Amino acid sequence: MENSNGILVYSSSPHKKAPHTTKWIMLNVLAALIPTSIMGIVFFGLNAFLLIIISLASSVAAEFIYYLIAGKPFREIAKDFDYSSCVTGLLVALTLGTNYPLYAPVFGSAFAVIVVKLLFGGTGKNFVNPAIVGRIFIFISFQSVVGSWLAPSIASVTGGTLSTGATTLVNILEYNTLPSLSVWDLLLGTGLSGCIGETCKLAILLGAIYLAILKIIDIRYPLIMVGTCGLLAVALKGFDFAYFLPSILTGGLILGAFFMATDYATTPNTKVGNYVYFALLGLLCAGLRQATNMETVSFAILLMNLFVPLIDKFILNRPFGHFKKKKERESK
Amino acid sequence: MSLRKGKRYAYGIHVPDMKDLSKNYPIEEMPAPKTVYIALSQHIGAPATPIVNVGDHVKKGQLIGEANGVVSANIFSSVSGTVKEISEFVNGLGQKLKYVVIENDGKNEEVLLPKLPDLEPKTIIERIRLAGIVGLGGAGFPTAVKLTPKNPLDALIINGAECEPYLTCDQRLMVERTEDIYKGIKYTAAALNLSRIIIGIEANKPDAIEAFTKYEDLEVVILKKQYPMGSEKHLIYSTTGRKVPVGKMPFDVGVCVQNIKTMIAVYEAVELNKPLNHAIMTVSGNGISHPKNLKVALGTPFTDVIAFCGGERENVVKIVAGGPMMGRALVNLNQFVRKTDSGIILLTGKETNTQKPTNCINCSKCAQNCPMRLMPMYIEFYYLSGDYENAEKYGAMNCIECGSCAFNCPARRPLVQNIQNAKMKIKEARSNGKQ
Repeated sequence: MENSNGILVYSSSPHKKAPHTTKWIMLNVLAALIPTSIMGIVFFGLNAFLLIIISLASSVAAEFIYYLIAGKPFREIAKDFDYSSCVTGLLVALTLGTNYPLYAPVFGSAFAVIVVKLLFGGTGKNFVNPAIVGRIFIFISFQSVVGSWLAPSIASVTGGTLSTGATTLVNILEYNTLPSLSVWDLLLGTGLSGCIGETCKLAILLGAIYLAILKIIDIRYPLIMVGTCGLLAVALKGFDFAYFLPSILTGGLILGAFFMATDYATTPNTKVGNYVYFALLGLLCAGLRQATNMETVSFAILLMNLFVPLIDKFILNRPFGHFKKKKERESK
Repeated sequence: MSLRKGKRYAYGIHVPDMKDLSKNYPIEEMPAPKTVYIALSQHIGAPATPIVNVGDHVKKGQLIGEANGVVSANIFSSVSGTVKEISEFVNGLGQKLKYVVIENDGKNEEVLLPKLPDLEPKTIIERIRLAGIVGLGGAGFPTAVKLTPKNPLDALIINGAECEPYLTCDQRLMVERTEDIYKGIKYTAAALNLSRIIIGIEANKPDAIEAFTKYEDLEVVILKKQYPMGSEKHLIYSTTGRKVPVGKMPFDVGVCVQNIKTMIAVYEAVELNKPLNHAIMTVSGNGISHPKNLKVALGTPFTDVIAFCGGERENVVKIVAGGPMMGRALVNLNQFVRKTDSGIILLTGKETNTQKPTNCINCSKCAQNCPMRLMPMYIEFYYLSGDYENAEKYGAMNCIECGSCAFNCPARRPLVQNIQNAKMKIKEARSNGKQ
């Protein structure tokens, strides 16, 4: 007897699999970034929209061109395309200010996708977060425009003065002044200058909750990072807890913690390893910020990414029924 | 009566159980087919030696294959008829085995085992050995060997978890033949000289739990619905809180685990004097016209079983012997029912997954789901790089092959397959080292 196709598929067990694929995960991360992108466009206008589109297009183009040069047929590239380049491109754009030239993300995204990801073997083989490197690449290459952030089109909802020129974070770090904006302004991003995707924290958190519900990210890890970062910032200001919320709600900490530090390829593989990684990352963020008086979340993530193999080497899961400690005690 | 909730162990996964397809169909006895092909190796250990010749007339329940050593099992005929052939061929699982082919004469003449003189532990164990009973949970380890443990035991655990999706035959048995199972359990406990009997049943089978609560001397444990709850080590932990140390066996922590179907077989062998010559299995999946729970004669061709269930519906891409998580896919339908078969699952293209594997994205979902808390991605990585020493270091030999890692892998990597291969390579290296 033959079945309708005449052929049986033979493979190893298990024969049932969860519906989630890499593509599904990447598409959901993109979906989670939609509110942030929309708020960025609302705040910063047409320029923000163009930066996002150009960045997305150039990252996808970079992947296709790379594989075409490598001799892979176009149809197969399209079939194997897993949208991770889109995530990289979108994240690069979201970390830019609107005063960057429109060609800036072309370089950043292409560098991130080709050098950091594809040259090391494609999705999952990157040893640092591509989007972070893309951002840093642009940050260093276009230094003349860095530091002069443009203000959003919507002013403070609670009547604080518009803070332009320097981000509120720098004020906190360098001059020990609490921002004139209320916590609500900081959360919504109204009246706050900064990058396209880093101002509206509420939109970012919305996306993060979406990912947590789908179990794509474990929400505890970024919360640990934000918590340790805030606590160290408070400690460095002589335990003045008034600084807690302003420190964590300014700059790129929230976007970095929930969408960049949680990149699968560059996080440890065990629960304990992740706790250690994210706690150290938070401390490093706050420490570097205070030491340099500027926004350093991306540098902190880049630095900690390099320690992931080390964490994975020393922190391993103990197998079920493993009684190493007891045995050692007995032998003593 | 004692009813309590089982412990939840860390990790493990949730699999859609799909038991609704077949759980309401009572067990039917499928008429014996015209020809049966009985394999002489249906258990772990040495294959049985055939003791019949071509042309011999055999009766139902007659010994046709004799156990070859301690770790082996007797094989009995499942029909009455003439031995047509004793030959070796490759079956649908790709194994080359010796088969006794018997043509059914339809007379259904049956011989029984001799009546037991007493119910001493030794007599019961001898009867279990004689009746060719093996662990019917899937592994097929001779039960008599399991009943003569090296360490003193204090509890007998009955595995009614049936955590594999689709399979419902254990659930049906627990509801329909509660009394027989209870008697089988009592005989097994008598053989082991144990008074503490625990039966673990997953919470998604309330009817089975209800059925067993009426017995005063059973501890019924309601297990959390969690895959793989039926794994021996996890069942022991859930019911007693004991952890079997790495590389040790259940008797090292003083328990013996037996399957529901094994208990039925023990009951039939001890009380009804019937040898094990049938299998109780579920035929399910969206690819079959009428899902059923069946009692099938050993050696029945899978094609006959599928035809008895109304045949295939369209788009069957995979046929699995056993449950979909740990069962084996068939290369072709040249396969015959064994003692340990618990199901035939016909999966359609939508149900199973045939996507090709992509890069590991290091999401560590496999490590977060592994009930043995291994790190499958490292084992796979080191196996693929040919570094078997490191594969062993990351726990390849502790793998229970439950499939939790590959189930949740977004990159669709064949993790279980690679770990199985790694195990084989490590065993090879070990035996080479000894020489």
